[in-house]
Amino acid sequence: MWSLGRPDAPSDDPLLIVDDRVTGATKEVLAAGVALGMPRREAEALAPFATVLIRDQGEESRRFEPVVEAIEALIPRVEVVSPGLVFVPISGAVRFYGGEVVLAELVEKEMTRLVGQVRGGLALVGVADGPFAARWAAMTADAGRPNIVDDTIGFISRLDLAALRESLNADELIDTFRWLGVSTLGDLARLPREALATRFGNPGLLAHRLASGEDRLVDSREIPADLAVDASFEEPLESLDAVAFAARALAERLLKGLRASGMAPHRVSVLAEAAAGGPRERIWRSADPFTEKALSDRVWWQLRAWVESGGIPGGISRLRIAPADLSDEGRQLGLLQDETSRIEAERALARAQALLGPDGVLQGRAQGGRMPQERVAWSRWGEPPVDQERDPHAPWPGATPSPSPALVPSRLRSLEVEWDDGMPTRVRLATRWEPVLTWSGPWRLSGRWWTGESDADRYQLVTSVGAFLCVVTEGRAYLAGVYD
Amino acid sequence: MGIGTVASLLDQERREEGYLHLQPGRVTELLGLPGTGLTRLGLRLLATPSLTGPVVALDTRRWISPEAAWETGVIPENLIIVRCDQPQIWPKVTAALLEGVRALYAEVPVGAKEQDLRRLAALARARKVAVAMRPMGNGLPSGVAHLRLRALGVTWEGADQGHGQLRRRRLMLEASGKGAAGVTRRFEVEDEGSHVVRVVSHVVPGEARRAVG
Repeated sequence: MWSLGRPDAPSDDPLLIVDDRVTGATKEVLAAGVALGMPRREAEALAPFATVLIRDQGEESRRFEPVVEAIEALIPRVEVVSPGLVFVPISGAVRFYGGEVVLAELVEKEMTRLVGQVRGGLALVGVADGPFAARWAAMTADAGRPNIVDDTIGFISRLDLAALRESLNADELIDTFRWLGVSTLGDLARLPREALATRFGNPGLLAHRLASGEDRLVDSREIPADLAVDASFEEPLESLDAVAFAARALAERLLKGLRASGMAPHRVSVLAEAAAGGPRERIWRSADPFTEKALSDRVWWQLRAWVESGGIPGGISRLRIAPADLSDEGRQLGLLQDETSRIEAERALARAQALLGPDGVLQGRAQGGRMPQERVAWSRWGEPPVDQERDPHAPWPGATPSPSPALVPSRLRSLEVEWDDGMPTRVRLATRWEPVLTWSGPWRLSGRWWTGESDADRYQLVTSVGAFLCVVTEGRAYLAGVYD
Repeated sequence: MGIGTVASLLDQERREEGYLHLQPGRVTELLGLPGTGLTRLGLRLLATPSLTGPVVALDTRRWISPEAAWETGVIPENLIIVRCDQPQIWPKVTAALLEGVRALYAEVPVGAKEQDLRRLAALARARKVAVAMRPMGNGLPSGVAHLRLRALGVTWEGADQGHGQLRRRRLMLEASGKGAAGVTRRFEVEDEGSHVVRVVSHVVPGEARRAVG
């Protein structure tokens, strides 16, 4: 684990590094209450004095490349997780160098040498069984002193529950565990696994596995050779734009082929052949199966790092991406679902969203309520759905019956209705009055009097040009929906 | 009524039910006054395509309710509502959607240019997108729509001078254009607020109009 500095940052200012969440901060900013992983806006509100820098993972990857190369010179098959973090399987290297301590010290020595050469440079080295434990071993190590964990289970059991945050990406689940009195991974591991699986599903099961020292192991599958994708270039690629395009196209091809078989890669090997030199290969790892964007980003970061560090003399003449392992965690499609059409639709919707703004492309979710306006919880497309304010499965006595109006204004609109002894006779539509042919109602809707809401009566009015849902409150009529 | 006549009527109903399904690369025009039930019909046309992937309702009035679409059988997770109340960018937004989605119900704003509509129809053909267009003003220019469904009238049953509630709607439609083999046909669609609709052939508009209420 290697801390990455920002050479472009003002040296004395308090800094906040963000993408959509906080990825780095200086001490003054952390002291103001900002935490890593916090949403960007919240952090900016807590530390308005900080200079905000946008995270550039491509640049971080380029500056991390010498570190990866240095480790690779000692131990082969380095697996990059993200700029700043690598995992290295060391069982072979331990035998070669004569023990874990010797090997860890050797890596530490090499890192110390690099600290003087590469800006950033705080190297933390941890050794444990499995990536999850090894990462936390490194996180809890001191600079210059590798943390070699002999008792991985014991080490994990002492970790705070927050250690699961990144692996699970489910803050609510962690809060629920805390509420249940579970504070360490050891407490969690002592709970019956079946009970967790029943109550919390897959995230609960994964949390228990990690807490028990059973790292998320990929169910290995045989990898057919034809799953790899490659492209050769008669004109070697030298410009970063051309490299980016090739990286994206290949990543898409690889995942498309794998998805068709219901497979997903957790590790991929990226190989680039230089026009005037040998091939370069690097493995990237992800705890979750790679998505199209995640894989495109990593391939692009790697190629950019190689190209900008002069590691590809003469440009890229061939590019190959191959899965280094596979699991069955590819998304299970429904019988009739078509993944290609979904990806194309997502692109089209993203373009529409770019034209209209984020509030122009929406998805609705059913929620409880008595009026049509209340019964849909709207979310922006592409964002996590908003929480339902009201339970859609509750009975909701007095709800407006089906069929629902197809047109529903977001708020009630004033409507002119003529009444004769409590019965609607005419309704004004634009400039003309339409006779009411028949109607149903009134249905009383009792408001929350303690919040100042008044009662209302609902009517369904039928005219020769359509039917309307009308609300009458405090002597005034409003349009609530059109049965168009 | 002989067996041949019954078979012929069944054939007609099957054909008219076919009008209520969108075809890839074809534009179906839904023409009629607001309030005649064409929004619900347009949303219903998205039900079958929503079984296989995302479908879009392009809403120029910002009033379309997904609840009505869900009732007609559209899969909630696959329905996306795109709200575009700016006529000047409507063609661009529609074109962007036609590039990727498989089925689209689009309200056409008043004043949409003929040239834009023809280009969009060509794009729908090229991309094999099933499209239903609902002009808010005049009808689409000739040659744009493969099938035109014109609403002649709508009647409701269930409400009776304060009693009951709206239960069943009968929508009188007239099909014309290439999709109707060049013959103008009238039929009625009965809808009780669920995904099941019943198609009745050989109806006369005047009969339905008398049944209002």
